[in-house]
Amino acid sequence: MANSICLFMNSMEQETRELARGLRRRDPDLLDELIARYHYRLFRYLWALTGSREAAEDLFQETWMRVLERGHQYSPRWRFETWLFAIARNLAIDASRRRQPESLDALLCPEDMRAPHELRDPDSLTPFESAAAGEQAGRMGALLRQLPPDNREVLVLRFQEDLNLDEIAAVTGAPLSTVKSRLYRGLEALRNLLTEKEA
Amino acid sequence: MNPQDHERACRLIDAWHVEGIPAPEQEWLDAHLAECTECRAQALTNERALQLLRSVTVRADPALVSVTQARVRLWARQLRERQARLRALWVSCALSWVLGAVTAPLLWQAMSWLGQRFAVSQAIWIALFALCWIVPATLVGAVLVWQHSRAGGVNNNSEVFL
Repeated sequence: MANSICLFMNSMEQETRELARGLRRRDPDLLDELIARYHYRLFRYLWALTGSREAAEDLFQETWMRVLERGHQYSPRWRFETWLFAIARNLAIDASRRRQPESLDALLCPEDMRAPHELRDPDSLTPFESAAAGEQAGRMGALLRQLPPDNREVLVLRFQEDLNLDEIAAVTGAPLSTVKSRLYRGLEALRNLLTEKEA
Repeated sequence: MNPQDHERACRLIDAWHVEGIPAPEQEWLDAHLAECTECRAQALTNERALQLLRSVTVRADPALVSVTQARVRLWARQLRERQARLRALWVSCALSWVLGAVTAPLLWQAMSWLGQRFAVSQAIWIALFALCWIVPATLVGAVLVWQHSRAGGVNNNSEVFL
């Protein structure tokens, strides 16, 4: 068991080192593969961050361009998605500053957190499943919109993107203790909202 | 069941999701949840909320993905070409400095001979020598700096902190 865990860790390290080398070389095939592999998670994160499909689409493209330009800055000690989300977050903040220099909260307090029109990762959705998923995402979007922005972001990173606490701290640039308290507060707020909604 | 137990259970239910809890705490929580309907309801609400959160599935338009892949490929090619140009400039800059250093004594002698031949004052032919020696390398260096600042100026408004 210990041996297989060790082998797994080694192969992961090897993979991230190769990824770092490929990013430094700006290997277009590697970037194609990364876009195909991470487009779903990146888009979901951007949508949660901005609350707007159009903004998420713009930032999606910009994020991958930045990955290409700054590939040499990727450190193999982080998982790729942690670095990717950090880039996306910084770009989203930059975009928000350009639009509304007075308020960074505007980024995380979107006016219209609408339900996206395409839902569920698998391509083969029946019309019924599609409608049900859309309704569910819409409901969740409405609930998320009511959460404080900081709390919403960490909830998304922890429970949608499965990042660990250190990774969330790295993405958000917040201390670990702050990440934890935001998660506790966010979870409590989400639970209360759900209870209120169901009551 | 005393209120402290409920409080502890509530704390552990959240902690289990957020950062995990040690095995003895987990055992205590399981035992408590088996008996306490109020805390079990809270645990179930947490589960439902997170399940709902995880069920949010937003997909990028496939066209957006392929357009992004194409743009990234194109930009990668342009960046590689720009890098090759910069490399060529670096090489020519280095070459011009080396050649300048190697030919300096010869150029000095040539300028000195021309100065005497045409009866030009020493200050003038030394200035001409300096100009001939410095101008090519300075020009290449200036182009290099210009190119470098252009390359660095593309989308450099956001740093990645990791």
